[in-house]
Amino acid sequence: MEVLNNLYNGFQVALTFKNVYLCFIGCLWGTIVGVLPGIGPLAGIALLIPATFGMDVTGAIIMLAGIYYGAMYGGSTTSILMNIPGESASVVTCIDGFQMTRKGRGGAALFIAAWGSWIGGTLGIVGLMLLAPTLANFAMKFGPPEMFAVLLVAFVLLGSLGKGSFFKTLPMILLGLLVGTVGMDPLTGAMRFTHGIRELFDGIGFIPVAMGAFGIGEILVSTEESLVREVFKVRFRELLPTREELRASWGPIFRGTGIGFIVGLLPGSAHVLASFLSYTMEKRLAKKPEEFGSGRIEGVAGPETANNAASESAMIPFLALGIPTGPAPAVMMIALLIHGVRPGPLFITEQPQIFWGLIASMYIGNVILVILNLPLVGLFVNLLRVPFRILFPIILLICLVGTYSVNASTFELSILLGFGVFGYVFRKLEFDIAPFILAMIIGPTLEMAFRQSLMRSAGSFSIFWESPITMTLIVLSGALVLWNIYRAIRPKAAWEKALEEGE
Amino acid sequence: MTKEQGGGLIFLAAGVYGLIFSIQLPMGRWNEPGPGVFPLALSILLCATGLGWTLQGRSKRQIEKRFNWQEFLEKLATPLKIGALTLAYILVLDRVGYLLTSLLYVFVLFWWVSRYKLWIAAGLAILLGVGSWLFFQRLLAVQLPKGFFSL
Repeated sequence: MEVLNNLYNGFQVALTFKNVYLCFIGCLWGTIVGVLPGIGPLAGIALLIPATFGMDVTGAIIMLAGIYYGAMYGGSTTSILMNIPGESASVVTCIDGFQMTRKGRGGAALFIAAWGSWIGGTLGIVGLMLLAPTLANFAMKFGPPEMFAVLLVAFVLLGSLGKGSFFKTLPMILLGLLVGTVGMDPLTGAMRFTHGIRELFDGIGFIPVAMGAFGIGEILVSTEESLVREVFKVRFRELLPTREELRASWGPIFRGTGIGFIVGLLPGSAHVLASFLSYTMEKRLAKKPEEFGSGRIEGVAGPETANNAASESAMIPFLALGIPTGPAPAVMMIALLIHGVRPGPLFITEQPQIFWGLIASMYIGNVILVILNLPLVGLFVNLLRVPFRILFPIILLICLVGTYSVNASTFELSILLGFGVFGYVFRKLEFDIAPFILAMIIGPTLEMAFRQSLMRSAGSFSIFWESPITMTLIVLSGALVLWNIYRAIRPKAAWEKALEEGE
Repeated sequence: MTKEQGGGLIFLAAGVYGLIFSIQLPMGRWNEPGPGVFPLALSILLCATGLGWTLQGRSKRQIEKRFNWQEFLEKLATPLKIGALTLAYILVLDRVGYLLTSLLYVFVLFWWVSRYKLWIAAGLAILLGVGSWLFFQRLLAVQLPKGFFSL
């Protein structure tokens, strides 16, 4: 009952003209960045952060969240019509989605993708609404040792679930943690790795690093490839699926919601993993698995639902614990911090109008997105006709202005370019960049929790196994490391091979 | 060299850098850990994993997946051009101002990298340069550098 009352209050916040407008702008921009290959939700959110400076924090987070989940909807369009994932989570949709387009069923694939995304997204918000306050209440009991243990598990999971093996992700996490230590030590005021450069005293800005590694790095790689791509046309009347296609997609949609919701809670490339797991499950459950890859609707419905459900459940650790599980929630966290609001266990009780306003706006946003992505799909497809050689200078300029506008600093532009080169090099070397970015942002909290715990226990490490919570979590991280060692030496499962091939 | 070896060498270099500079930081005691403890531990682990990947890359299985340097260098021209132009943009932005620098930057990108004809590149540059200035400066009220000409 309390949840319903809170939700009612949330709708009162979200249904003001200004907030509905901001939600619409966020969803529209999210769909555009999702459709356009080369700009993901991360760059899309970072770019609009300066535009939120004049807004109240509720409006700002409503708009930025709209970009995040809107990009998941838009990502499927390019996968289905062009065989190019607009967003990394839509990689698997290319397999059967594009084959459906070749058979003249691209419209139906788009419809089912949007329908599944809506169901997955909406059920994901119900889960978020019910689980986040409970988790936040539980996390209020956390002191520094518990926080250290939670973050330790998060990092081991990040290594386990990232693209590639644990041992390939581990050095990226370590590098991210090391970069996160640059700047003034918050406990003693000592300068670390600053070499007297004043701009580094506050640490390396997260936005130039993320925009550089993802935005500029992606452009540098994309400009190497051929830029001529075929786009299939879709008419409105072709959007309706047949009765058989609708019947076949129900099961994958609900299974995709469950998989996506659970996997979305985990740190790392959860969206990608959720869509791959859903695809593999559908293929396993199918009566004729050999038909997968030749245009099965289940291969579109399951993964698209899963990545949308994952994007909603990824908000749970971010809002309730202050731990972003992916680069896009991390940028949203930066935006909230700029507005003076810190997500974490106290966030829901201290800022109920922001939390419940955001939840209510997500229900509204999901409806807006279905409207944007079905009747107006042709409009977004036209964006794909803009040649990439026109598009990439626009994206570059957007990254440069987006980074400059946060602190009005050309030094941050140098960091942007530096990390652009970093992103390019590591893409070529096939190392995953997302764990680096997440480690960089969560690292300072991990270090602080570790040092505060030891100060509290007068230097005794026993503090990490005194409470049942920390002991369980530390044993869990140890078990996960052992499991990863075992995984590295045993033969790979079919879904792991499929995931690697997809990358 | 394999891709893993390349990555391993970068991690090793970063680890050695971290090691050199974190050793110079105060370490404190266990009851009050200093600012050097965490970076030192990370640097040691980074050196170990970097070394691991450098050696692992020499295994027979990895040697079969050698990094194709020739292909890499052939494709490097466009990213190099973009990188150099972006560096020049960053260096002059504060002095020349957003409007002029961006006009020139996108013009050279369209003409030199995208290989449009001179007049098409100029037209696109004016459209994008002025359009972005109006959008960011006027509509979103983003503070952009004005440069000598106060534009």
